[in-house]
Amino acid sequence: MNGRARQEWAVELIGFGKSYRAGWSAKSLTAVESLTLRLASGQVLGLLGPNGSGKSTTLKALAGLLRPERGEVLVYGHPAGSLAARALVGYLPELPQFPAHLTGREFLLYCAGLSSLKQDRTLARIEQTLEWGGLRDAGPRRLGTYSKGMLQRLGLAQAILHDPALVLLDEPASGLDPAGRLALNRLIRDLAAQGKAIVFSSHLLAQAEQLCDQLAILGRGRLLVAGSPADLLGSARVESPEPSRLEQLYLEKMGSHG
Amino acid sequence: MAEFPHGGPSASFRRTRLVALHTLGEALRLRLTALLGMIGAAVVVGALALREFNFGSAELKFIGDFGLGAIGGFGTLLAALATAQLFFSEIQGRAAYCVLTRPVRRWEYMAGKFIGVAGLLALFTVAMGLLIAALLAVRAAQLEGAVVGWTALACACAMQWLKVTLVAGMTLVVCSYAGSALFASGAGLILAVVAHLRSFVGEGGRFGWIKVWPNLALFDAESVLAATHPPSASLLLGCAGYWAVYALVFIGIASYVFEQREF
Repeated sequence: MNGRARQEWAVELIGFGKSYRAGWSAKSLTAVESLTLRLASGQVLGLLGPNGSGKSTTLKALAGLLRPERGEVLVYGHPAGSLAARALVGYLPELPQFPAHLTGREFLLYCAGLSSLKQDRTLARIEQTLEWGGLRDAGPRRLGTYSKGMLQRLGLAQAILHDPALVLLDEPASGLDPAGRLALNRLIRDLAAQGKAIVFSSHLLAQAEQLCDQLAILGRGRLLVAGSPADLLGSARVESPEPSRLEQLYLEKMGSHG
Repeated sequence: MAEFPHGGPSASFRRTRLVALHTLGEALRLRLTALLGMIGAAVVVGALALREFNFGSAELKFIGDFGLGAIGGFGTLLAALATAQLFFSEIQGRAAYCVLTRPVRRWEYMAGKFIGVAGLLALFTVAMGLLIAALLAVRAAQLEGAVVGWTALACACAMQWLKVTLVAGMTLVVCSYAGSALFASGAGLILAVVAHLRSFVGEGGRFGWIKVWPNLALFDAESVLAATHPPSASLLLGCAGYWAVYALVFIGIASYVFEQREF
């Protein structure tokens, strides 16, 4: 990954460090320590590690929701959080809750407006993302009636609505059923094929192994190991991940059940 | 990819308007809004039952004063509680993350929140003002020779709106650094009380510094209604200017503090 011009990297974390104040005391808790990672366009990076290992903090720093205490965080050469960087980013927070009084379509319309999508393209794009999320019929329904999985799919839809160059997904498979997870896997590979960079955090190691071009395992805020699955596991990523036998049976039954 | 430039005043205006409309839409669906609106309306109508206890004032003035007091009181409650609730519902549900990771400046978000709540308070004030006007019209028709100062009533309602929107501004400042809606609304109400009592602070002394805080007694709507003539244009402009300065200061402080905030 070395030798590229800086602006070619979709994501650059250079010695990134972040601590949090522990309540009112002067003590601080180190969330991420001296993390250096780079990701090119068209690649998928999976952040793995136990709870509290710094995955969400890293994603939030890339999204501009928090500032690095040490080091640099760059998105296509722009400091993360700057207006230029945020214009290139789509972000799915962990377990989002959206305004219950809006319909799915209205919420996406609001997001599209904030991302300055042109009005004539907005409606087509909203339909496209609703279609992808399997939410086309639920589009006119109020979000208060959505299930957890539907909210998660809507969260994914708003993250890719404005066609961002960098997609950041915090636990994207959380709350999704097996069909939703397979659709998510396909979406991530499709986005990467379109040249977008994707960074996601996950506890699902099999999913990460199938999808990622780069893996980074964090522990207590430190980078334990990073590299491609081939480097780390001695085998290349599976290009077209097949559903497991149980998943196949489940999908069959769901299909026959309508 | 987004097609419009993200910088520039027109883009800022568009995003602020979107956040404001979204906030207003959410505010209108709050149970709190319906509850305070209904109680406020009941209190205004209750003035008819209490008019025997008007301590010698003219009946129409009593109804007007009582109604304007209800707008001020319930408007203050609505301003503090709705501002805090609308702000924290988005932060705690992480929906705000989906907004703040887009090319939306923090001041645009805060200004949008303020304008949205100001819109809610405008609707509240207009609805209550119309109810007071209806009561006054009915009683004026029943009482011989009674005259209602409609212009004065409209000005008094406008003054009440200026007052309660400043309470929303104060609460927004607290929201920008507070950790919970309960704390923010409580602190917003305390700051509103301080702003009401500020006119009693004498020159100099230990509490002289409180004079930097806005004086909400300047928007005394009852005195506007009591006057025989509608307030002069210079008085109204003076109050509007005073309001505008403090509204901008509150939005500025809230935006600056919120800019430093991490999630």
